[in-house]
Amino acid sequence: MTRKLIKRSILALGLGAASFTLSACDGVSVGVGYGYDPFYDSMLWNDYYHDVDVDIDVDRPDRPDRPNPPITNPPARPKPPIAKPPARPRPPVARPPAARPPIHRPAPRRR
Amino acid sequence: MRILLTSTFAACAALWMGAVEPASADTPVTYTNEGRALFRFAVPDFWMLRTGGPREIEDTKLGDARAVARVMGMRPVTDDNVWMGFVSPTGVATIQDGIRYLEDVDKFLVKEPTINSTSNTRIGGLPAQVFRGTGSRDGRGVNFTATVIDLPGNRVVIAIAILRDGADPAYADDLNAVFASFRSLQ
Repeated sequence: MTRKLIKRSILALGLGAASFTLSACDGVSVGVGYGYDPFYDSMLWNDYYHDVDVDIDVDRPDRPDRPNPPITNPPARPKPPIAKPPARPRPPVARPPAARPPIHRPAPRRR
Repeated sequence: MRILLTSTFAACAALWMGAVEPASADTPVTYTNEGRALFRFAVPDFWMLRTGGPREIEDTKLGDARAVARVMGMRPVTDDNVWMGFVSPTGVATIQDGIRYLEDVDKFLVKEPTINSTSNTRIGGLPAQVFRGTGSRDGRGVNFTATVIDLPGNRVVIAIAILRDGADPAYADDLNAVFASFRSLQ
């Protein structure tokens, strides 16, 4: 009986250790999101339309005109499909009642 | 006990089988510009996509605002050693222009870029030029593949794929699956 118990506890401990080991294999960055995205940020930057050309490259052809900036005034937004919920009439969580003196002690049982 | 062991083995086997499944890209995404669909590609499973959008950014030193086209970036959810991005810049019409655009971008992407190979190919049935090279970023080695794809209608697509040193080489399959799914919508 005791041996069985020892065997079982070793098995349980082993499985526990294995689950920890397996979870350690998961990437640390899961769920971190886009906090730091160096390549994305870099791809935004370019000197292509830039007038100040640091490179001295005489043979370079003329650069094309700078494109128009994106529309600054977006058209009026259509009504979103999801309406805002109506203002709540009452908060769901009620305030706790003011502290009151405890209820009087129950009267001793009558015999 | 025996039943438990057998089921454990079965579970492990299923895990390993899952790990070696071929790369799949099943989520189609359309890149549009001013309401016009330009091209589409598929995002690999278990990757996340950053859609971006047209905007203007400003160099604080020069005070010069620059218009930037939509950049779509994606990476595996669990691994930030791999990255891929698409942009179709305004006013860039030919592959030659695209290469010049790339020259103006790559210095921001990686330090000391060295191009190891250049090849002409076709991606999604369209002529494309591929540059493979290495560089460094944040003190780590980076492998990059920059591609200029010639879209019909005086536009190009710049695609950049990044594998940092230490990235699982199997991700190359995912990246190639994205290229395989690339189609022009012009």
